Amino acid sequence: MAHVIQCLDQPSNYKDSQSRVDRQKQNDLLAKSNTLYVGNLSFYTTEEQIYEIFTKCGSPEDGGGVKRIIMGLDRNTRTPCGFCFVEYYTHAEALAAMRYISGTKLDERIIRCDLDLGYKEGRQFGRGKSGGQVRDEHRSDYDPGRGGWGAQAQRLEIERRREMEERYADTTVAVAGGGGEWNQQHATAEPAGTLKRGRSPEDEGDDSRMANRARTDGDPEAERM
Amino acid sequence: MSYERPYRGGGRRRQQRDDYDRHDRRQEVYEPPEQKLRSAILRLGEVDPVEELSRVANQIREGGSTNVPAASEGFRIGVTEQPYKIPYYTALLHILHEPEAEKEASTSDGPTLGKQILEDFWKGFQAFLDKLAWRETRLCIHFFAHLTVARIISAHSMASLLQSFIAVLDEFGVSQSRAKRAAMCAAEGLMIAGQVLKEDSATNVIDIISAIQIYIDTTAPSKWLVQPMVRLHSQPHALESADELMETALAVLKTLNSSDFAESSNSYPQPYLDFAPLPPGITLFDLPSVLVPPEVIELDGLSSDSGEDVQIKREEWPEFYIRLFDNDVSPDPTSPAGYAVRSTLIDMVDIFEVNRKECARLLLEFPKWTLPGTFKPRPGAPAESHPEPVVGKDWQLESTLIEICLGALLVLPQSAHNTIYYVALITEICKLSPSTVGPAVGKSIRRLYNALADGLDVELARRFAEWFAMHMSNFGFQWVWKEWIPDLALAIKHPKRVFMRRAVEFEIRLAYFERILKTLPEQMQPEDAHVMPEHAPGPEYEYDDPLRPYHDSAQSVLNLLRGRAKPEDVIALLDTIKNTLSETSDGDVNIDSVIRSIAVQSLLHIGSRSFSHFLNAIERYLPLLRSLAAPGDEARLDILTACSIFWKRNRQMIAIVFDKLMQYQIVNPTDVVGWTFNYGVGNERGSSSGPLSLNAHDWDLLKGALDKANGRVVVARRRVTALRKEEDDTRARVRASDGADVTSMEVDADANQDDPTVDSPALTSALKAFASLTREQKAALSRTLTGFIDCLAPLASDRHANPASRDVVQEKKWHNRANWGQDEWNAWETWGWYRHFCRAYAPYLRNYATTLGTVSLVKFEGTTDPAAALLLRTWNVATGQD
Repeated sequence: MAHVIQCLDQPSNYKDSQSRVDRQKQNDLLAKSNTLYVGNLSFYTTEEQIYEIFTKCGSPEDGGGVKRIIMGLDRNTRTPCGFCFVEYYTHAEALAAMRYISGTKLDERIIRCDLDLGYKEGRQFGRGKSGGQVRDEHRSDYDPGRGGWGAQAQRLEIERRREMEERYADTTVAVAGGGGEWNQQHATAEPAGTLKRGRSPEDEGDDSRMANRARTDGDPEAERM
Repeated sequence: MSYERPYRGGGRRRQQRDDYDRHDRRQEVYEPPEQKLRSAILRLGEVDPVEELSRVANQIREGGSTNVPAASEGFRIGVTEQPYKIPYYTALLHILHEPEAEKEASTSDGPTLGKQILEDFWKGFQAFLDKLAWRETRLCIHFFAHLTVARIISAHSMASLLQSFIAVLDEFGVSQSRAKRAAMCAAEGLMIAGQVLKEDSATNVIDIISAIQIYIDTTAPSKWLVQPMVRLHSQPHALESADELMETALAVLKTLNSSDFAESSNSYPQPYLDFAPLPPGITLFDLPSVLVPPEVIELDGLSSDSGEDVQIKREEWPEFYIRLFDNDVSPDPTSPAGYAVRSTLIDMVDIFEVNRKECARLLLEFPKWTLPGTFKPRPGAPAESHPEPVVGKDWQLESTLIEICLGALLVLPQSAHNTIYYVALITEICKLSPSTVGPAVGKSIRRLYNALADGLDVELARRFAEWFAMHMSNFGFQWVWKEWIPDLALAIKHPKRVFMRRAVEFEIRLAYFERILKTLPEQMQPEDAHVMPEHAPGPEYEYDDPLRPYHDSAQSVLNLLRGRAKPEDVIALLDTIKNTLSETSDGDVNIDSVIRSIAVQSLLHIGSRSFSHFLNAIERYLPLLRSLAAPGDEARLDILTACSIFWKRNRQMIAIVFDKLMQYQIVNPTDVVGWTFNYGVGNERGSSSGPLSLNAHDWDLLKGALDKANGRVVVARRRVTALRKEEDDTRARVRASDGADVTSMEVDADANQDDPTVDSPALTSALKAFASLTREQKAALSRTLTGFIDCLAPLASDRHANPASRDVVQEKKWHNRANWGQDEWNAWETWGWYRHFCRAYAPYLRNYATTLGTVSLVKFEGTTDPAAALLLRTWNVATGQD
């Protein structure tokens, strides 16, 4: 069937890096697979929500149905990290989910399904450096459903914030003024571009503004999370 | 989203994937000439079909006769998978029938390339027919019909082809599905080629039409059971809001015939008629005569204990498509032009099921394959490209598409594909053109919502709510609920209010309580508006409150379970509690029930955090559950009741828990059926004291149980068949090796193994499993039937009798439905589920029709009780005894 268009139930090119089987063997397994990898879930989506949508591809009258759901967890925090495995009793049900569910929304996110080799102990945990999924390491957008920034971006963000905080850890009451108007009285023969600028009481306003900016950078995210 | 490396991070793996892709691409680049030719044919018309015809024709001609197989394969796929291109494929074949001027000398004696391709195409048709691939067969007939109009195929041979399909209707004991599909082949062929066929022989045409008429008249009783708008009291009646597929085909044929098929040219594009007719020297192609092969009946010799055949054969029913729009908005299926458009769209929805996204795109592009003026131009299209609107057409594409998709979704007893396909397809159509499709979806929702008050079938109401929730889930749950605020004045069990509550519940399942609450207007938010559930879904452990009876006992059980104690230790504790309780409590407490309730609720409690937690909890304590269930029927009902109490705020979990309890074989499907009729949660009785009735949630539980029972038989049957085949193969191998090695010393040992009357232990136990599962299947079906009889034709002495169950089947009561209260609507809904049970499980019920009918229904023969008569009539129609 379907010479004219591609079927949606084809597995992707994904190769499980920790699986020992070669590609040929893997393809054979996928051609019989009852298991789906489901990705791009919100960290807040529950198994019952997942069950609700995936059961619609179940065919109990053929001995099928949702066998189990394995929620993907952050290795360190043991909290959902945005993926799961859905295991059916039959291969046909997994194909149906590829055709009808993959690419539709659950919990207001477009979820993605892929045929999977089948669950193995340990696969429920994220493989990213931070404990979550690898994709969340490299993600550079802000995604409130997946814990905000990607892990690397988050680390960078934390790093930046810490740098910022540490930078001013030595702040004293005397705050620089940034220099007043040119004053003939202080005109010197020194070169104009001095490396270090002198501190003066008038500088105070500028720095507090900067501190403010740093806060507003962080705050909206904190709220949306 | 903008992560740079979607999903597959890591440089090394990235590299590998690139290699893999390149490898793939290399394979794609080299396209053998046959494949190239084939795809040229398949891609015909991507820009402008008429302009491209001569280029593709030349490409086919380049290779001469060697191209015939590839070309005919291209035609075969094109015709059966892109039915909207059939008129243009006809034109292409027309060109290929024209003699080639420059090559005349060399090829004038042989048949034209076109003729060779047609001969080869015919073989493909024959293959489709042999497999009884009905849709492909029918679409090939479309092609032949156009070729007849193009004067390439002879009219008389086309007429006799159609006659062979009509002959099927006269076969002795022909199944409805076979008759319907064969008749559609003949009818649609005639619609396209009628003019030429009638010129050839008017009687042929009349014969075909009257044969279809006669057949349709025999299907009247089954129509009554599958029409979308329910009238319990009446015979089939003309429906304004739905059309039966075959009936519309017949109406179209009559209309066409009355004008000698002049209207065909207004219904189907006929680009080939713009060409000069083929020179008279070319003889018309005579289609060989065919016989529609009989259906293959698989005889695996498996039957249930009582000798009943348990092979499941899906029966086709009359096919009603619901109408949502007026004839000036979407095509009228009883008009020739309307039928042509609708049937092509229905075929497309069917064919492209494998890729809903592509399907949506092709559906939105459909107008380019229709006659100018068929659909209104897209808003924003340049004015000069607007064709003149054609009177009686000028339809709105988006409304038409949504009506077609919803029509296919709402076919009874079940849609051709999984219902979620149509839901997902509508989502894709909306995504491609939200501003134009959105309003059509909104109007459709309002039409269906209004139909609820006029008897929309309960199963369709359920599918409607399911679609509504999933659709909203894909589009931010944006619905203008406030327009339904006035309906809050209706009776609580009025179908419109039931719909609101159900749709909201399904939405909550896909999202969460607060999310849905904030989409509702203020008037719908409070509990007493009866739109939202009373509470957010959650568990309710009956013994949580220290003031509740048995709190301390339950706490001790819970502590043991939380500490992951061994099942036998829990069982021991339960025994201790039981002894204590029987010493302290008075006589009318059923201590066993209390113990079961404590144990089951505590177990569910430790597994209440998620579906997986629940599975872990019951897997760890299977021995405990088995020991609780061991005493018998009553014990298993207690277990189910305890689950329903614990999850009374989450009906989804009740269905899940029941399903897994059946899966782990703690309870049987029959237990669940019996429990549902006696203690169903959905009717909000709270206790079993109200009148017996069944609503959509109860139905879900019932369906879960019946499907489980039926599914197990399917699996068991498959296993037996596989084992038999394996043993036959082994025997054959042994026999073969015997033959080659007659002098072998082991002849005696082999002879033993070769004994065909002795089954292997594996096969013996598979047969045993099959026998007990068919028993269970029959028990579940039988329990369902008696459950419905108790609800619908209750004895006067039954204190749970619904007083309205006999009223609602009467016509004058139905017309007074504006004044119906809870009992009436409950009874009406229960009748609806009985009807659905009979038609949806008809293939299974037919297998047991005699025994089930004898046990439960025979007492109603000759009854004057209107309820009993209706029960019987419904049963007889469903089981084909009417």
